[in-house]
Amino acid sequence: MNGKQTAKYVIRLGVTLFLITAIVAAALACVNSITAPRIAAETERKTQEAIEKVLPGGGKALEPGSYDDQGGLVTQVYASDTGYAVKVAPSGFDGTITMMVGVGLDGKVLGISIISHTETAGLGAVAASDTPDGESFRQQFKGLSGTLSVKKDGGTVDQLSGATVTSRGVTRGVNAALACVAGLG
Amino acid sequence: MAQQIIGIIIAALLSQNFILVKFYGICPFMGVSKKIDTALGMGMAVTFVMALASAVCYGVYYGLLVKLGLEYLETVAFILVIAALVQVVEMFLKKSIPALYKALGVFLPLITTNCAVLGVVLVNVQEGYNFLLSVINGAAGGLGFTLAIVLFASVRERVNKADCPECFKGFPIALISAGLLALAFMGFSGLKIF
Amino acid sequence: MNVKKQFTEGLLTKNPVTVQLLGMCSTLAITTSLFNGLGMGLSVTIILICSNVMISALRKVIPSQIRIAAYIVIIAGFVTIVDLLLQAFLPALSQSLGVFIPLIVVNCIILGRAEAFASKNTVGASALDGLFQGIGYTVALVVMCVIRELLGSGTFGGGLLNGGLGYQIIPDPYPAMKLVMPVGGFLTLGMVIAFSQWLMARLERNAKKKEAAK
Repeated sequence: MNGKQTAKYVIRLGVTLFLITAIVAAALACVNSITAPRIAAETERKTQEAIEKVLPGGGKALEPGSYDDQGGLVTQVYASDTGYAVKVAPSGFDGTITMMVGVGLDGKVLGISIISHTETAGLGAVAASDTPDGESFRQQFKGLSGTLSVKKDGGTVDQLSGATVTSRGVTRGVNAALACVAGLG
Repeated sequence: MAQQIIGIIIAALLSQNFILVKFYGICPFMGVSKKIDTALGMGMAVTFVMALASAVCYGVYYGLLVKLGLEYLETVAFILVIAALVQVVEMFLKKSIPALYKALGVFLPLITTNCAVLGVVLVNVQEGYNFLLSVINGAAGGLGFTLAIVLFASVRERVNKADCPECFKGFPIALISAGLLALAFMGFSGLKIF
Repeated sequence: MNVKKQFTEGLLTKNPVTVQLLGMCSTLAITTSLFNGLGMGLSVTIILICSNVMISALRKVIPSQIRIAAYIVIIAGFVTIVDLLLQAFLPALSQSLGVFIPLIVVNCIILGRAEAFASKNTVGASALDGLFQGIGYTVALVVMCVIRELLGSGTFGGGLLNGGLGYQIIPDPYPAMKLVMPVGGFLTLGMVIAFSQWLMARLERNAKKKEAAK
């Protein structure tokens, strides 16, 4: 094969690959334009649902920077006349747990709701499930305040069996929310 | 920062080991673990590519995709970057470090389809790690992979000589040994740092 | 066209999971509930059919030097489409499979079938191959899920039946919890493969006996 032919061949390879990539990218752009609004709406709906669960009546989002967040776990704060809903993202056993913590004006937990997580099914995932175990795990935070820790670490929170790391993560999230609201005065 | 770095390293090596806890990269783990030497070679090659891919994909994601609003192309872009990287590394080693190429060469093409590599860059983006943390996570993840595959290869060299029921010969007994290894690594899962 | 042969190959004699040992990352990682297994199996089947058809159609256009790169881009495209559709229309499934949906790109089943079958056969045969291999994969996943879920959390059909709770078959304190953890993945798959090897050896022996009797 002489030089000219090789160059031609290489160009053909490049152009073919480029064309395939371009077509794939175009197809993805089409699909994305259909799904993006739905995904955004779904995320928004989940967030609103979680706020409604922990702070009935909902709240208004505060500007980022208008609240104090020392642990770096707080991602959003919603305020209303009756209290705050704080969105926190502590890490669990496997990845981040995104959850909403309702805190009353008296600095006590109103309730928690887990928006998304990737914990082990049947163990850590119980924390977010609608099973009796999951319900009672989340309910126990109601009315608590201060800095919490799980029983294994000498605290008061009942950890889920087989999912201490998840329970610690959730507790850390609640602590961050409590500290954040305490900072708001 | 230092705490976060140590936390990432410990997690990637032990408590969240890529293979035994998170199940990334099982195919090479089963395929290239018959001998300790080859397992070590594969591990080193994967570590190298994972660290490099973490660095380059960080640049591609934040420098290109986010700026252009094309985040949904991340999977396509990352796999292209990884495939290209593996190709470049292969050519580079062949030309300049033939000794290393001889040792690692056969493993390199396999790395493109190793989920550990694509897995680590996707996780880096998901967790929002900065450049330094991404590279550390990539390198530590690769070392965790090496640790698991070398340990497993040494177990397997012995298991292969043992006598076991006919239908368990080959992969089933290997999988069960891997399960026992994973059981040992579960001991690290409660490991709490700071 | 040999539909029946392709069918038995996909389901048993060349089952992607128990014989070819492909795509084990997701087989081990997500088989903790029936919902996950079915969702993953169906996603992989759809992607496998699409990529097989596309690659088979383009097999004469793509130069062989860059075929792997081209295949990966095509596969990644389909995977992202499925990923986006799941996020938009089945958020619960997308949530529960997490990073393992984008990781289908590097699932060796898809690239393996592209290289071994679709690049050499007609569009129709490739589509069927995708369908049967996908079904074989789904069946293996579902078997793993049922075993791990039943023994690990004592339920059947979690995430899918009975309003997502599944039916509690083994009462609460008794299940072997370790089976839903990583260890259980390895152990269960080892047992399932051992069983399928035993079954195939037996079938072969019986076939030989029959022939000898004739």
